[in-house]
Amino acid sequence: MRFVSFRSASSVLATTALLLIATAPSQAQTRAETLRYVTGASVNTLDPNIPGSTRESFALSMSTYDRLVAFGRKQLNGKWVFDLDKITGELAESYEVSPDGLKLTFRLRKDAKFQDGSPVTAEDVKWSLDRCVTAPILGKAQLLTGSLTSADQFKVVDPLTIEVTLPKPDKLALPNLATVYPMIINSKVAKEHATPDDPWATAWLKEHTAGSGAYVVESFKPGEQVIAKRNEAWNRGSPDKPAFFKRVIIQSVPEPATRANLVERGDADLVVDLQASDVQSLEAKGKLKVISTPQYNSITFVSMNNQIPPFDNVNVRRAIAFALPYDDMFKAALFGRGAPLFGATWPDGKPLNGIYPFQQPLKTDLDKAREYLKAAGLPEGFSTTFSFNVGQASTAEPMAALVKESLAKIGIKVDIQKLPDAQMSTQINEKKLPFFTEGIVAWLPSTDYFYRNFYTGNQRWNYSSINNPELAAIAQEARFEPDKAQYEEAGRKLNAMHFDLMPQVMLWQPNQDAVMASSIEGYTYEFHRQVDYRDVSRK
Amino acid sequence: MTGLGATMVRAGRRLLSSLPALFGVLVFTFLLMRVLPGDPAVFFASGPNAGKEEIEQIRKQMGLDKSVPEQLVFYLSDIGHGNLGRSMMTGQPVLKDLRERLPASLELTFTALLIALIAAVPLGVLAALRPGSIVDHGVRLFCALGVCVPTFVSGLLLIYVFYYLLGLAPDPTGRIDVFTSVPPPRTGFLLIDFLLAGDIEGWWTACKQLILPAVSMALFVIAPLARITRASMLVSLGSDFVRTARSVGLSWRKVVVTYALRNAILPVITIAGIVFSTMLGANVLVEKVFSWPGVASYALDALLSSDYAPVQGFVLLMASLFVLVNLVVDICYGIADPRVSIG
Repeated sequence: MRFVSFRSASSVLATTALLLIATAPSQAQTRAETLRYVTGASVNTLDPNIPGSTRESFALSMSTYDRLVAFGRKQLNGKWVFDLDKITGELAESYEVSPDGLKLTFRLRKDAKFQDGSPVTAEDVKWSLDRCVTAPILGKAQLLTGSLTSADQFKVVDPLTIEVTLPKPDKLALPNLATVYPMIINSKVAKEHATPDDPWATAWLKEHTAGSGAYVVESFKPGEQVIAKRNEAWNRGSPDKPAFFKRVIIQSVPEPATRANLVERGDADLVVDLQASDVQSLEAKGKLKVISTPQYNSITFVSMNNQIPPFDNVNVRRAIAFALPYDDMFKAALFGRGAPLFGATWPDGKPLNGIYPFQQPLKTDLDKAREYLKAAGLPEGFSTTFSFNVGQASTAEPMAALVKESLAKIGIKVDIQKLPDAQMSTQINEKKLPFFTEGIVAWLPSTDYFYRNFYTGNQRWNYSSINNPELAAIAQEARFEPDKAQYEEAGRKLNAMHFDLMPQVMLWQPNQDAVMASSIEGYTYEFHRQVDYRDVSRK
Repeated sequence: MTGLGATMVRAGRRLLSSLPALFGVLVFTFLLMRVLPGDPAVFFASGPNAGKEEIEQIRKQMGLDKSVPEQLVFYLSDIGHGNLGRSMMTGQPVLKDLRERLPASLELTFTALLIALIAAVPLGVLAALRPGSIVDHGVRLFCALGVCVPTFVSGLLLIYVFYYLLGLAPDPTGRIDVFTSVPPPRTGFLLIDFLLAGDIEGWWTACKQLILPAVSMALFVIAPLARITRASMLVSLGSDFVRTARSVGLSWRKVVVTYALRNAILPVITIAGIVFSTMLGANVLVEKVFSWPGVASYALDALLSSDYAPVQGFVLLMASLFVLVNLVVDICYGIADPRVSIG
């Protein structure tokens, strides 16, 4: 019987190779309750703490695990974005910060349960936070930025209360607990899978989840797709009810054109990483909802190595800053989709505020650039290389060509160097690239955080290798500055120094373009630059 | 029977003699990966807060903290134990990744080769029967078009026409519609697994998904196959035995199919073998365009991120497959022309 049908079916295949029938309509019903999200990268681990985890893994973990607290959301130019300043309870029903800012007390929800049905206790929270600061995982370096460094800081008061003590009042301690890494794990389950070599069960948690989140992983195929189903008992969302979608399919589709086709044809519901040109044409057609949010916690810049000649000369850096073809670059790379960080007017020549990133009073002015080159003692210009990584070629390639063209006009000869991603990272880490473009992102975008991480020390993220003791000191001090006005003042000072020293040129904040079916609602731009599946619903 | 026996002995000898070559490939790839610029540890430690400590940790995890000769010894001993290492990208053991992905690539390549052969052999024969005619020129034009259009272009074009414009094809992502449940994996070949599970509807879904990528790959290899068929048919048609067969009044069909084609098919088999091996590695673009979860796109991703273990595993797999394909070609030779087995 089977054999017969095989033969008839294969003859159908052979004779009508391209005559295909349309997708069966019987799937329509499950479609409405399913979110199909397509992305270029893939989920490579179920525990975002594993070194090498992707952004897609971060987003999935936000839905499979709960944290003690979560970021609220706010409107920015009519679009929903995460709100760093509004921290709400997730597993914590309420929290208190002691008046001296040294003690955080979290009271857990009585009804919170892990996905296996066992209640979430303060013991689980302690184990999870201990793991985050003790195990050799990514959470360690992140929590460090919030003065959370040792297991001694977490104390179980009673089964539903946990206390966190800080050595200094740190503004970033609480927000850190809302980031991806300090997720709360079912410690009993995890301990069962721990081994003497791996006391924190990192190997097991990479492929399994033991959380209390809104979604349960149904199938996990690294590099292909993840299917998650709704946890009906979950009630930690803002309206206190389970997530909207019964199932979420997170699928890897490497070709951006195909992702655009899928969402346009209605086969995919939501996609965030399309090419700017595709987004523009989809927006023009008007059938889909396109929500473009400037990634306000990220920056694309052109960096110069402040230790390598001739870029160790501040006037060379200033010359570059006035020779870059800003408008053309912005159009060619992003089709103007983003927030420019150039072209500001500073009436009294001083920064408008103490927020970083900020718009600098820069525009293409070749005469000024030539003057600075002359001041640097290089009136004839020089030769250098401009590097970017292959992974960013679609935006960086047209940009590099424009940089080359524009700098040629003031005598600077630029060789464009396109490097494979791993090679680029290595060279950046070894501080070998003189002149290149990169993008950065910070989960907790506060001014001191940016300056401490990206403009101080001999670390990888200090792309420009700037070494300015004064700047470092101000940034370090600002971290623990409780007074808002003082903090703002420190920010202004740092921003003024940035413009004066010009360690690197901030270009823009690219848009996060989320393209979705018109029935999808609730999309919010999140700090991890992926979709939080709990946010969205279908009308 | 003796003919078959001789073929098997020859095959066995071939297999043995290819072992040193495989070993060479193993060592060469290993060294090549290490001299390529780019530090994988730095790449994978790319989180917003990954510092020196994390980089060191990854380096240790990947075994990169040891000297290259030491790494090689460990690597060879791991291979001896059937362990190809762990991929940093997917977090899975490479062996598991390859085992899951190889059937996808093989299924696609087999189907494409089948489509190519079904199209190319008749085209080649037609062209050879009327050399210089309009048919011959038509075939030549078709082949030229197939070869000069890169597979990803034809792939994107097919998607645009059959999926985007006409809506005839299913969405070009993966091996199966995301809403169809997968059959219990037995062979890993979806077309076979669905049949074993008796799920005809599922089989048809998988089949529809396969057509566009297979056709775009087939278009690219029709040319060499058709050209070889044509050339070899021309020789065969001009030979004495065909003239003799014609002169004794055998039917046209019998002359062309039984005498001429059977003799002309040997080089086609050789080329098909080579084409198959190259297709397996070269279908990376098709796999990318159609989000096909195969080994080639896996290896490319790994290469871009300097993920050593998957690249090494992939090269080893390809080398082994090449040896196997050569064997199969040898055996096919023996069957198509028993004289080959003599000596």
